[in-house]
Amino acid sequence: MNLKILLSILISFLAPAVAVAADVEGDQASQLNIPIVIGFILFFVVVSIFITWWTSRSTKSASDFYVAGKGVPWAQVGIAMTGSYLSAASFLGCAGDIGVFGIDSIWLSIGFFGGYMAVLLLIAGPLRNIGSYTVAGALHSRFPDDRIKLTVMLCTVVISTFYLVPQMLGAGLLFEMLLHWNFVWVTVGLGILMSIYIIFGGMKATLYNQVIQAAFLWGTMVVLVTLAFFTIGQGSFFDIIATAKQTVPPLIAAKDPAVVAAIKDLPADQAIATARQMLPEAHSAMTIGVKTSSTLAMVSTVIALVFGTAGLPHILIMFFTVPSARAAKKSVALCIVALGVFYLGAIVLGFLLFPGIYPKLVAWISQGPVGVGMAKNMAVLEMSNTVGGTWLMAIGASGAVAAILSTSAGLMITVASSVSHDLYKVYINPNASEKQELAIAKITTLLMSAIAVSLAVLLKKENIAWLVMLAFGIAASAIFPAMLSTLWWKRTTRQAVIASILTGLGVSVLFIVLLFVKGAKYSFFGLPVAGGPGLFGIVASAIVLLLVTVMTSDTGKNPVEFMTLAHRPDTE
Amino acid sequence: MSVGPQSLAAMRRKVLVNFGLFLLFFIFYLVAAVVQTPSFKEVAVLPALGMPLGMLLSLLIFPVSWLIMGVWFWRSK
Repeated sequence: MNLKILLSILISFLAPAVAVAADVEGDQASQLNIPIVIGFILFFVVVSIFITWWTSRSTKSASDFYVAGKGVPWAQVGIAMTGSYLSAASFLGCAGDIGVFGIDSIWLSIGFFGGYMAVLLLIAGPLRNIGSYTVAGALHSRFPDDRIKLTVMLCTVVISTFYLVPQMLGAGLLFEMLLHWNFVWVTVGLGILMSIYIIFGGMKATLYNQVIQAAFLWGTMVVLVTLAFFTIGQGSFFDIIATAKQTVPPLIAAKDPAVVAAIKDLPADQAIATARQMLPEAHSAMTIGVKTSSTLAMVSTVIALVFGTAGLPHILIMFFTVPSARAAKKSVALCIVALGVFYLGAIVLGFLLFPGIYPKLVAWISQGPVGVGMAKNMAVLEMSNTVGGTWLMAIGASGAVAAILSTSAGLMITVASSVSHDLYKVYINPNASEKQELAIAKITTLLMSAIAVSLAVLLKKENIAWLVMLAFGIAASAIFPAMLSTLWWKRTTRQAVIASILTGLGVSVLFIVLLFVKGAKYSFFGLPVAGGPGLFGIVASAIVLLLVTVMTSDTGKNPVEFMTLAHRPDTE
Repeated sequence: MSVGPQSLAAMRRKVLVNFGLFLLFFIFYLVAAVVQTPSFKEVAVLPALGMPLGMLLSLLIFPVSWLIMGVWFWRSK
């Protein structure tokens, strides 16, 4: 690949955004150090170009493109996996949600974290031992039925699209709110950047970029929390909790115009005391139930996050990039430690928002639903500004961009691999050469990018954060039971696996239909449809899997040999 | 390919360790999540180590997960 061509393409798409940045105005933008933000973004772009150029020289075969030649060191995959999982919702939203609702929101962080234990203990090792290019390929190696490839490919496309669109939309909104950059230009620019490094560098470029983005994002969170903990929190977690106990949740305080006016110009500690004096009977930020009202919804969300993570195709295909099952397990272990530190930091940071920026949170939320969104997304950046000035705020904004890039790239290459390998090669052109298959993967990348950008632009005014939860719900219902039984249960049958996938997908479609027909607040047997099929989907899918297994007998192509391969002793 | 009694025993042990540890984690995780809901508010607000019990249980998910992970690596050597 010609580096000059790549450079000129990337600089040309960045130029309009930089030009728009010159016209920046407004509260948020005036606090930001614009040249630093642009500097960091340019840094990511230049690094992406270099990595793409460097990896494109060694990306020749399908194995190189799909799974980076299966020889990537475990530490690198572990860091990349962390980057792939940490979206902007994790970086900005987890702490921001605590800042709006209080203690109820700590489970957003814990829920995301908990998902990897199922991946580590039940999936990573045997899945790597089976080895494939895609999730469908792994199931297909035991049950050589093309319908399995088709259904899993469908699930992969749906899950990845649901996950990808909010990322692109989040990126556009972030830049629009922060810098007043043009929404369409930002989303188009990110789409082009990711398409280029996937098309030219394949999985290798994606992994290397994810490593850099994850390290930057994780480092930013750790620095920010440490600074805030020792400056605003005075180095005592118990003092932070004590302050939260006194705090009227910003969501409640913002509903009283007298409180909003009274605390507007006060320092945070005085604002907290004043709001409490004016609303002595109000809940505190440590009161349970401000956000979570249903135990069933909580259980469903937790189940969707734990089993959904173990069914997310863009996470599962990363195990095919390491040389062995032991390496796959080590990479997940590293990821679990890194995610734990990150999400623990996000929780602490969430509670630090009260003594840090309480009046600002209340002022944002008092503006209505848009203000609630602002508070959730901007609180971490505002906190960066409070503890570290405009430099840290600019680094925080760049961290959010890094989060979006690393997650979105992982999703896009997963869809590209699945469409070319499981649809084109199986149904459209079974005699396709490796070169043709790769060409389809690259075209799919471009198409997926265009679709994601278009949907982000079309749905800009909609609150579509629930799409991510829906993606977890579908992964938990449609992929996880089929994957678990295939890898661990010799007796399970081909028909049962197909029925289980279709049931999970069917329940998910039912929830999507209900969501559109009845609205996000509608409850299906007590479960809010906006939370996704979670509990109902996975239970239905598991019951169907068990029943059909009992009624049928096709246990696949030599199940004993498959089990022996999947669970062979670890070697390295 | 045939499977000898030794590898069958190894497989059983693997199933026991992996699923046993996962079940342990999942039960703790689910209990901590449910305690932190309005239905179990009375239990959740009981003071424990300077914070409400519900919050303590929720935060313990992190070290408990790391501990289970350590045990799993040790057992699967």
